[in-house]
Amino acid sequence: MIQFIAARLAAYVPTLFGVSIVLFLAINVVPGSPAQASLGINATPEAIARFEREHGLDRPLHEQYVSWLARVLQGDFGSSFQAGVPVGPELMSRLFVTLELAIFAFLIANLIAVPLGCLAAYYHQRPADNAFILLATLMGALPNFWLATLLILLLTVTLHWLPPGGYVPFAEDPGRNLMLMVMPAISLGVVSSALLLRIMRTSMIEVFSSDYIRTAVAKGARRGVVIWRHALRNALIPYLTVGAVEFSLLFGGVVIIENIFLLPGVGQLALIGITQRDYPLLLASVLLIAVVVMTANLIVDVIGASLDPRRVRTAGGE
Amino acid sequence: MFRHLSWRRVGLLAIGGAVTVALVIAALFGPAITPLSPLEISVADRLQPPSAAHWLGTDELGRDTFSRTIYAARISVQVAAVAVGIGLIGGILIGLSSAYFGGAWDMTFMRGMDLVYAFPAVLLAIVIMAGLGTSMANAMIAIGIIFIPGFARLARATAQGVLRQQYIEAALSIGVSTPRLLFREILPNIATPLMVQAAIGFAYAVLVESALSFLGLGAQPPEPSWGVMINEGRGQMAAAPWLGIVPGAAIFISVLGFNMLGDGLRDFFDPQLRD
Repeated sequence: MIQFIAARLAAYVPTLFGVSIVLFLAINVVPGSPAQASLGINATPEAIARFEREHGLDRPLHEQYVSWLARVLQGDFGSSFQAGVPVGPELMSRLFVTLELAIFAFLIANLIAVPLGCLAAYYHQRPADNAFILLATLMGALPNFWLATLLILLLTVTLHWLPPGGYVPFAEDPGRNLMLMVMPAISLGVVSSALLLRIMRTSMIEVFSSDYIRTAVAKGARRGVVIWRHALRNALIPYLTVGAVEFSLLFGGVVIIENIFLLPGVGQLALIGITQRDYPLLLASVLLIAVVVMTANLIVDVIGASLDPRRVRTAGGE
Repeated sequence: MFRHLSWRRVGLLAIGGAVTVALVIAALFGPAITPLSPLEISVADRLQPPSAAHWLGTDELGRDTFSRTIYAARISVQVAAVAVGIGLIGGILIGLSSAYFGGAWDMTFMRGMDLVYAFPAVLLAIVIMAGLGTSMANAMIAIGIIFIPGFARLARATAQGVLRQQYIEAALSIGVSTPRLLFREILPNIATPLMVQAAIGFAYAVLVESALSFLGLGAQPPEPSWGVMINEGRGQMAAAPWLGIVPGAAIFISVLGFNMLGDGLRDFFDPQLRD
């Protein structure tokens, strides 16, 4: 197991370097000056040249990348072009908001997908199964920002149950924090649950057709015991792998949902970085999201391996 | 082949196909379907609820919501077609060549594709838009780029299976040129899974385009795009809820239609994949 974790960590570091290169190139390789964007269309050529010199933008791209990476490795994400303040502390204060939203949304997605997926498998090829598949198809086609809009229309504008947006830290006021997180998390979670429900259903159908489940049923085990105690554990292994991918996709939605509900998270920072062409902000926030996504995948890999030791042997070549 | 047809599969194909055809008709013949201009401002008609004159009401500038919704289909179909086209062409070139040449070429490309997968797709599209600048054309390119890894992996995996067939060995032994082998012998045999993936790609492209436009990174106002319309409608939710509901429903139905078409095609060509 330790060998497996070491091998995964060894692959993690070069991938992270690769990701940083892809990200840096995607933002910088296209012509168009961030100086122009920062200083406005009336900026003089002298002002633009001075801005580029001050921020190192006049140097060759590979030099810019190396110096950016060296600083990032020391925890220095540079300073915002617009506000002039260091990006690092701002980023860290926002990371908690984004993680809270993503975890809350992922929890909702699983609370929908696991029981419904199990039930769909249990009633395989019966009307209930078709109804759950239809539900998954409908949920998968929902744009998360439209669902957010509908939730605001229903729960805020019509019923006045929830505030339209904003953020209060959990430590400051847990009740208010949860009230503000409900709609953003549902908007992301419901859409994510569509694929997870299908995967849970497929995994459970496979497990239900295995001999040990038939034996359990033949011995007269109760339905609930068969589903929750015997089948679910084995069905969770493929589910976890897809769950990690879905968790990653969920971060794409974070940018949009944070913007709608005025949540001061990393996604909102990325959007500010794009609209104002503030590259240090954009690079740092997207890199941080990529790191979170990759780390989540790594953790899921390790959990999956602990649930299914065959995976460790395959990966380790034993 | 037709023995695979069941009511479920026929239903998926029929509904998905009907929605797709309706969308294409709306995109091509928008002006004929609705006589009202999607851009014409009429302050006297602002925020009118749905009526005989304005089937889906009007927005805060008095523009007809039905006309704007129909015209926006054009943008969605256009973006989806170009983006899926870029994804398909890029993916086929990378996937086919990786499968055929193998070795270091294959490893380099596929590791590159893995790197792209480390980013959530929408976020990567946003990052690419940051480099390219915000416009409709750039949205098409950005969405197309995020599609390439998916198509490349699929093309590579299916081409590897085809490359093991005897007729490929026969073609190689009689000295068929590499481009001819790749594009005349292998490509037609991997077209079906790519076509299914393309239908699902259409759905995803509509979603990403509307998300980018919603964030102000794709279509720019006053251009009617479903994403732009939802964003504009959010400010009028109490007075005119249809402004947020209608364009979202259009996205929902389109995505549902493309997904059903993709599922129907997959079931039709490969019934074993259904579960």
